[in-house]
Amino acid sequence: MSTIESADEAFLASFLEDYYAECDEHLAAIRRGLLVLESSLGQGQLDQNVVEEVFRGFHSLKGLSGMVGVKPAEQLAHHAESYLRLLRRKEIALNADALEAVIAATRLLEQVIAAWRRGEPLPDFAEMLARLSDLTASKAPAAAPPPPPPPAAAAAPAPAAEAPLAEEESRRLVAAFQMGKQAWQITFTPSRDLAQRGINVNTIRSRLQEQGELIRAAPIITPEGGISFAFLWATDADPSVLAQWAEDGIRYAPHLAVPAAAPAAAEVAAPAAAAVPAEAAAPAEVAAPAEAAIPGEAAAPTAGAGAVAPPGPSPEPAPPPITVSRPAAAALPTIVVRVDLARLDDLMQMVGELVISRARLEDNLRQMEPIAATIPQWHTLQETNLAMERQLRDLREGVMRLRLVPIGEAFERMQFAVRDLARDSGKSVALSLSGQTTEIDKYVVERMLDPLMHLVRNAVSHGLETPAERVAAGKPPQGRLALRAATAGDAVVIEIEDDGRGMDAGQIAARARAAGLIAADAELDMAGLLDVICAPGFSTRDEADLASGRGVGMTVVRDTVQELGGTLALWTEPGRGTRFTIELPLTLAIVDALIVSAGGQTFAMPQPAVREVLEVQPTALMAIENNELIAHRGGVLPVIRLARLFNLPDEPGRALYLLVIGAGLNAIGVAVNRILGQREIVVRAVTDPLVRVPGIAGATELGDGRVVLILDAQALARLHRETVGRGRP
Amino acid sequence: MPANGTNSEPYILFELAGTTYGVRSQVVQQMEMIEHITPVPNAPDFVEGVVFLRGQVIPAINLRRRFGFPKIPYDLRTRLIVVRTGGRTVGLIVDSAREFVPLDPATIQPPPEGVAGLSGHYLAGIATLGERLVLILDPDAVIGQEAGLTSPA
Repeated sequence: MSTIESADEAFLASFLEDYYAECDEHLAAIRRGLLVLESSLGQGQLDQNVVEEVFRGFHSLKGLSGMVGVKPAEQLAHHAESYLRLLRRKEIALNADALEAVIAATRLLEQVIAAWRRGEPLPDFAEMLARLSDLTASKAPAAAPPPPPPPAAAAAPAPAAEAPLAEEESRRLVAAFQMGKQAWQITFTPSRDLAQRGINVNTIRSRLQEQGELIRAAPIITPEGGISFAFLWATDADPSVLAQWAEDGIRYAPHLAVPAAAPAAAEVAAPAAAAVPAEAAAPAEVAAPAEAAIPGEAAAPTAGAGAVAPPGPSPEPAPPPITVSRPAAAALPTIVVRVDLARLDDLMQMVGELVISRARLEDNLRQMEPIAATIPQWHTLQETNLAMERQLRDLREGVMRLRLVPIGEAFERMQFAVRDLARDSGKSVALSLSGQTTEIDKYVVERMLDPLMHLVRNAVSHGLETPAERVAAGKPPQGRLALRAATAGDAVVIEIEDDGRGMDAGQIAARARAAGLIAADAELDMAGLLDVICAPGFSTRDEADLASGRGVGMTVVRDTVQELGGTLALWTEPGRGTRFTIELPLTLAIVDALIVSAGGQTFAMPQPAVREVLEVQPTALMAIENNELIAHRGGVLPVIRLARLFNLPDEPGRALYLLVIGAGLNAIGVAVNRILGQREIVVRAVTDPLVRVPGIAGATELGDGRVVLILDAQALARLHRETVGRGRP
Repeated sequence: MPANGTNSEPYILFELAGTTYGVRSQVVQQMEMIEHITPVPNAPDFVEGVVFLRGQVIPAINLRRRFGFPKIPYDLRTRLIVVRTGGRTVGLIVDSAREFVPLDPATIQPPPEGVAGLSGHYLAGIATLGERLVLILDPDAVIGQEAGLTSPA
């Protein structure tokens, strides 16, 4: 591959990545807006801002897609935009059918872009285009397909450069004028040919910065739907320089200090803008450079309508009173930085390594204590160490917070799915969301999207009854589905609850027995029920049910939750409903752990899972059938020996340490041979199926390159229940 | 060093129980000497344990056990060949590994039925390199990419 081709590819590749990211944002805004519009159907006035936002979303998508050549997306967006334009101009009123079409179009757009990205065949969209055209056909002039981009020589100052200047920018502009510079509006339109010649927005930027001052730079969507870059540039370079750059995709026009009369001026060619100074009372303010110095600019104001200052630099030295209009009422964008999640991962890794290093430092200090305690600096050393621990914790939390996003984004995506599903299955669903601002790690939310969607689909498809069934059962015809999120200490709790028909434990148990998943006489409690429905291959429906779980779905839900270090719980009652509760740790990566040894191998047990640690003599253990128990706090505590559970050599005779996990009736003591210490560990996932074993939640490295496995308290408790149930030691 | 065949693909050759095997170098992420492997309780017999590589915890398969040979103690020549395929990264413990050779896929014969001692299951083919016989490994089969062994990713 030649260097030109690979540079071209690289340019296009990074362009595409940005494209997908931008599409996500625009689609999210469109979805939000459409849902608001839907709820205001038939309730009188539409919120113009919302209509505007949806319109702009489609408009941007159209332009972006056109630029990178994703024609199907461009067309879909274009047609949707046309409808929105009519709506925006109030030439038509919103009706349910039309909204339905736009919503469907949005969904199709998502699918098309996703398929494009994955290199898969695209879903058929011709029908959708026709449907959208129908919406606009009978109304005001149907939107024509976008006109071909104007020839490069034509001049039209970029709309963005006409936009009102921010205060900082106008200050710099004034300063530039005071130094005798001229101001230009530069528009650069990238193209493949230019990129091949090595000319892209960055080279243009550098060029401009070398020869003058770049006051403002912004990407814009041109009226034709393409992407260009608009610069406001102040320079004392000779204007003929600009003419030389015409070959490089650059168009330019003088920037006039008096703001353009109206937004419509954006589409008006330069002559009109140049005519403004003629009417303005203070032509002395205008630093309009000589129009005559712009050869070949067809639309350029060669007419020099009366207010042309003499060619060349230096306007009057007196500071012109520039009027700056404030930005329109549209919300000011918050300053955000888009960061690659991979970079945050790297950052997290670095913090993790810092944590390990500090822990080792602490170990060393502890070992030194006997001899070092007499050294005068000892206390300072210890204090510094403690301070570092505190600061590292803060740093850790700060970095973790960077990765947090509101869970509302995920919930919103489900709203769409619920609508469709409800309609397709003939049910009426009232979806209530709460806790949308609850923040959760971006990686966690990405992984949880599919599982959550699965649970939501289950609720609508299987959980909720049809309106007729509900009425017959004495319930309101509309089913209720609630999605809730809240933080609880170190974790985020997500609930998905429906008030539908609940699960029939008896029927599920029967199926489970028939499938050999549980013993013939076993009763199912909630935990057991959950285990059964999450077992691979289990399903209460025929394979024909495509809308949701086929035995694969729930397994993946639980696996994902566990992989993220969380827990899944079920509550259900026949006739009343079902609730899934998912608890996910906020702090993905670093936990405090007890380092223990059992059967000659070192393990780590996350501290939050341990309620107490007891030292016991083996003689204190009572053996009853195949269990071991110990008297504890007036009751008995079942004991499970880790070494035995893991088929490791036991060390009989030695004292045992019990890590008490679980609570109340579910408490058990995990017996280990030694407690080696306590430290913070960085949790690494163990994902490969070959080494996914029950009782192990992950792995860590204590600083010497050796892997130490992290115990899964919940799984150990469950394993114990199962082995007790089956009568194995 | 490289052959003149335009269709040659580079392969890494390793020794196991006296036989030479080859694996496409494209799937090989790295090769390491054996450092500490942490055993994983109740894992399949041929899984030696896990190691820590490039910030990731990956399983290490003892290829001798996988193929039904007796294990031998590690020595300075033992190598961990880390393969990456089907979205998984797994290490293979072999007796030694040193050579890189280009092989023309056209010279690779399908594994004959009933190759004694080995399920042809783990082989993608047999190649001749001069006078040597090289058994070509199927990394996906070795790490167990068949349905049922892996949960949906």
